[in-house]
Amino acid sequence: MSAIRYLLIALLILVPVWVGSTFVVHHDSDPSNPFLPLFEHLMPATLVSNPHAEHGEVAHPMLAITVPGPAAFDAVPEQAGTQFVLTNLQLFQIAAALLVIVCFSGVPSYLRTGRGDRLTRMFAGFALWLRDDVIYPAMGAKVGKKFLPYFLALFFFILFMNLLGLVPGGATATASVFVTAGLALLTLLMMVFGGMIAQGPLTYWKTLVPHVPIAIWPIMFVVELVGIFVKPFALMIRLFANMTGGHMVVLSFMGLLFLVANLAGTAWSWASSPVLVGFAVFIMIIEAFVALLQAYVFTMLSVLFIQASVHPEH
Amino acid sequence: MIQETVDNAMGIAKMGAGLGAGLAVIGAGLGIGKIGGSSADGIARQPEAAAEIRGASIIFAALIEGVALFAIVIALLIIVLPGKL
Repeated sequence: MSAIRYLLIALLILVPVWVGSTFVVHHDSDPSNPFLPLFEHLMPATLVSNPHAEHGEVAHPMLAITVPGPAAFDAVPEQAGTQFVLTNLQLFQIAAALLVIVCFSGVPSYLRTGRGDRLTRMFAGFALWLRDDVIYPAMGAKVGKKFLPYFLALFFFILFMNLLGLVPGGATATASVFVTAGLALLTLLMMVFGGMIAQGPLTYWKTLVPHVPIAIWPIMFVVELVGIFVKPFALMIRLFANMTGGHMVVLSFMGLLFLVANLAGTAWSWASSPVLVGFAVFIMIIEAFVALLQAYVFTMLSVLFIQASVHPEH
Repeated sequence: MIQETVDNAMGIAKMGAGLGAGLAVIGAGLGIGKIGGSSADGIARQPEAAAEIRGASIIFAALIEGVALFAIVIALLIIVLPGKL
């Protein structure tokens, strides 16, 4: 069982990396601006069935679903309607979701029988830490038990997406604002509907504002209403900007190599490469820590926000 | 002539983005530095509460960092979407 699990994990890392780096259109290098082609790698790349299309030939998306109606965040602006296309980000999202399933496949039987391989014990300990040290102290065991599956799924999904972005050739799904917006939207729905279910639909909106003089109640209501939307919005921006920012710094150090080569010649570029690559490696180490930290921060803040709306202070 | 004006305006926009990013970092640096100092003080006074203090200070640092990242994203938009904002 253990060997199969390790094999599946290796496949789930290598297959998306291979597909995501093979079936995309590669960008031409531009000697006058070494930074732009590098930063293009931060953008989601559409998976195409003919990656080696000549100039003038149209690249065919692997999967394109056209939804009629007004175009919003369109993949193909020339066509009518909104096109949803498969990009490498979706690939890594699916891989992250499958990785969660594979890594946790042995955990239930380990918790029942106490027998499991090293990987299973590690993830069981991880999940128990999340439950006992993060979620239960903040929410209490009674409410926390109901929300526990959501937070566990959220934490490990974000964690695997962040870590897959550090694999060479990988794409960080959480470095797209749309992915983090989807995750933050889930937290928003949990806040509003969780609060309405726990307290009753009307009581939730009544207890939104703590006890204040009646004169400033309307102002406070608007403030609290805006606050409901600002909290998930901040979650969205925080995760997106942290993941994008780290990659951007690494790519900037790589771009500096080419800039030095342009300005002073290849010899200077070689000479400065140990320093610049060293800095890039240093940032990558920080990024590995940030990948873990941001998954924790997103989950922890979701816990606090949902707790605040499910169980308000009076 | 028009092209020159547009180029100049773009240069000023880029300068604004750089200044904005720098100012945001100053604010976040002050805030996170205060948190770091206070949490180190707290851990030194009560080493047995180190784990709780560390967890709380990470959350506070993340909240401040979020505000700074708003500014960074806006600075990024100035560069990425010239003429649309």
